[in-house]
Amino acid sequence: MKGDFRQSMKWLHTWVGLVVGWVLVFMFITGTSGYFKKEITRWMEPERPLASTHLDKGELLAMSQRYLAQHATDAKRWQIQLPNSRDGNLTLKWRKPPKKGERRGKRITKIINTDTGLATENIRATGGGSALYSLHYRLHYMPRIVAYWIVGFCTMLMLIAVITGVIFYKKIFSDFFTYRAKKGLIGWLDIHSVLSVIAIPFHFMITYSGLLFFLATYMALSFNLSLNSDQQGEYYDQVFPNNIVHEKSNVLGRLAPLSDMYIVSKQHWKKDTLTNVTVNFPMDSNSRVKFSRWETDITYNPEDQLVFAGVSGKIIEIPTRKVTVPGQINDGFISLHEGKFATPIVRGLYLFVGLLGAGMVASGLILWTTKRKPKQLKKTKGPDFGYRLVEQLNIGTIVGLPIAIALYFWANRLLPVGMENRAAWEINCLFISWAVLLIYPAFRPAITAWYEQLKISAFVFCFIPLLNFITTDKHLGITLPRSDWNLAGFDLTMLAIGLAFSFAAYKVKKHVIVKALKPNGDTYKTDENLAIAGFSSSTAKKESN
Amino acid sequence: MVKFTNPRWWVFSRIMAATLGGYALATSSSLFFSQLLLQSLGIYQALHIGMLLSFLIYACAAMWAFSTSTAKRAWLLLLQFNLVLITLSGLLMQVNP
Repeated sequence: MKGDFRQSMKWLHTWVGLVVGWVLVFMFITGTSGYFKKEITRWMEPERPLASTHLDKGELLAMSQRYLAQHATDAKRWQIQLPNSRDGNLTLKWRKPPKKGERRGKRITKIINTDTGLATENIRATGGGSALYSLHYRLHYMPRIVAYWIVGFCTMLMLIAVITGVIFYKKIFSDFFTYRAKKGLIGWLDIHSVLSVIAIPFHFMITYSGLLFFLATYMALSFNLSLNSDQQGEYYDQVFPNNIVHEKSNVLGRLAPLSDMYIVSKQHWKKDTLTNVTVNFPMDSNSRVKFSRWETDITYNPEDQLVFAGVSGKIIEIPTRKVTVPGQINDGFISLHEGKFATPIVRGLYLFVGLLGAGMVASGLILWTTKRKPKQLKKTKGPDFGYRLVEQLNIGTIVGLPIAIALYFWANRLLPVGMENRAAWEINCLFISWAVLLIYPAFRPAITAWYEQLKISAFVFCFIPLLNFITTDKHLGITLPRSDWNLAGFDLTMLAIGLAFSFAAYKVKKHVIVKALKPNGDTYKTDENLAIAGFSSSTAKKESN
Repeated sequence: MVKFTNPRWWVFSRIMAATLGGYALATSSSLFFSQLLLQSLGIYQALHIGMLLSFLIYACAAMWAFSTSTAKRAWLLLLQFNLVLITLSGLLMQVNP
C-alpha cells in the first residue's frame, strides 16, 4: 500500500478496527457479563429465597430426591444443582416427556425453598444472565446462522487487528511504561497501547477460541467436502468424546439415597466440593448417578466426576475418554474462553481482562477521532459526515451500551410481573434504549453528549440498588446482614460501576470544560478551546458554575 | 465504460482480494493439510488440524494482500497459491487410499 510493510499494517489495523469496533465493544461487554451469568440470573429472579449455602449437602440431596420422586417420575434425567458460591439456591431441572410432534419435552426448572422443601412459585419471567450473555455470539432479532456469520466476520477482523497491532507497534514493551498524560493524542495512544499490551495473550485467546466454537460452520466447504454425514457424526465423537453411552433396562428399580452416595463422594474427593448431581433413568434398575464438582483443569480432568450405579449406590469405574491432540487443543481453547474452571479470583481476573478488551477497542475508536480532530475542526463547513458518525457511534456505544444494559436490569424490576412476553420485552428495552442513545449524540456537540451520557450512566447504575430496595425484599438491607454475597455482590457491583461512571463524568467536566474556560490557555484562545471542546460559551459557563 | 482511475477502486479491489481470496486460501489450505496428514493421523484429526490452522492462514493472507505492492499482484498471487494448494491436495488424494 504505502511501500513500507509496517505502515501498511498500521493502515490495516486502523481501518479493520474501525469497521467492526462497535460490534466488538458490544461483544466484549455482553460476553464479559457471561462470566457472571448465574449470579445475574439469580438477581433477576428476586422471588427466589435467600442463599442456603450453609446447609448440609446430604440433607439437601435427600430433600431434592423426595421432591423429584414426587413430581418428576416420568423424566429421563434429573439435574440437581446444590447451593454454591455462584448461585446460592437449590435448583432442580428435568424435561417432561415430549408431546406429539415435539423433539424434546418441555424444560422444567424449580428453585427449592430449603425451609419448606417446596418449589418457589410465581418466579417472574426473565431472560436473566443467559439472555444477556448469549447476545455476544447470537446477537438478536435475526436467524441464528446469520448471527454466527456476522460474529465470525467481526471476530476474524479482530484477529487481524490484534496481529497487525503487534506488528506495527514494535516498541510495544518499552513504551508500555511511558504514559504521557495531558497531551490529548498521546494520552489516548498510550491508554490504547497499555490496555492492549497488558492482556495481549487474552485478546488473542478470546478471539481465536471464539472462531473455534463454530469451526465447522465457518469452514463449511472443507468440512462438507471432506466428510459425508456419517463421518461428520464420527468427527464430533472424536473431537468431543462422550464418556459412555448408557441404556436403560426397562425394569423398574429403586434409586438408593443420594445422601449416602454423597458420603462416599466426600471420602473419595477428600474435600466437600460437590456442586452438581445428574441422575439418568431415575426409575430404572440400570440408573446412573453422576456427581460433579467445578472443573479443576483447563482441559478434561476425569477426577471431576464420580459415577454411581443408582440402585446399589456403588462407584462405577468408567473408562477415561480417548482424546486426540487437536481435540485437546480445541477443548483447551474453548475452556479458556468459557472460564468454567475459574475459581472466584480467576473469575474476577476474567472480568478485569474482559473489560480491558472492551476498553482497548473503545480507546482505539476514540483515538481514531482524536487524531483527526484538529484537521476536522479547521474545515470551514464543519467536520465531515464520516467523522461525525464515528464520534456519534463512539458515544452511543461506549457509554450508551452500558446504560442500555443497566436499563435491562431496570426493566426486570419495573415491567409488570404478569406481563405477556415479559422476558422478550426486557431485551427489547435494552435495544430500544441503546438505539435512542445512539441517535441522541447527533443532536448535541460531542463533548456535551459524552458528559451527559456519562451522567446518565452514573445515575442508572447507582440507582439500581435503590430500585431493588423499592421493588423487592432482596435488597442490601436484607442480603448484607444475612450474608447472601451473591445478591449483595450484584448490587454493590452496580454501585461500583455507577461510581466509576460518575468519576469519568467528573473528569470530563474538570479537564475539558473547565480548562477551556481558563483565560490565556496554553495554546488556544478561549473561544477556540471551547470550539474544540464542542461547547458554546454559554453552556460551558453554566457547567462551570 | 467506467474508468477505475480513482485510487479508491484499488483499495476496494484489495479488500475483496483479502476477503474472498483469503477465505479461499483458508479453505484450500485446510483441504491440503487434511490430505497431507491423512496417512499418519486419519481423516478426522487431519481435517481438524487443517481447520484449526485455517483462521491463522486467513489472517496472514489478508495482511499480506494489504502489504504487497499492487492490488493486481494481490489477486494474482492469491489465485496462484490457491491453485497450487488445490492441485497438491488433488495429487495427494490420488496417492492416499
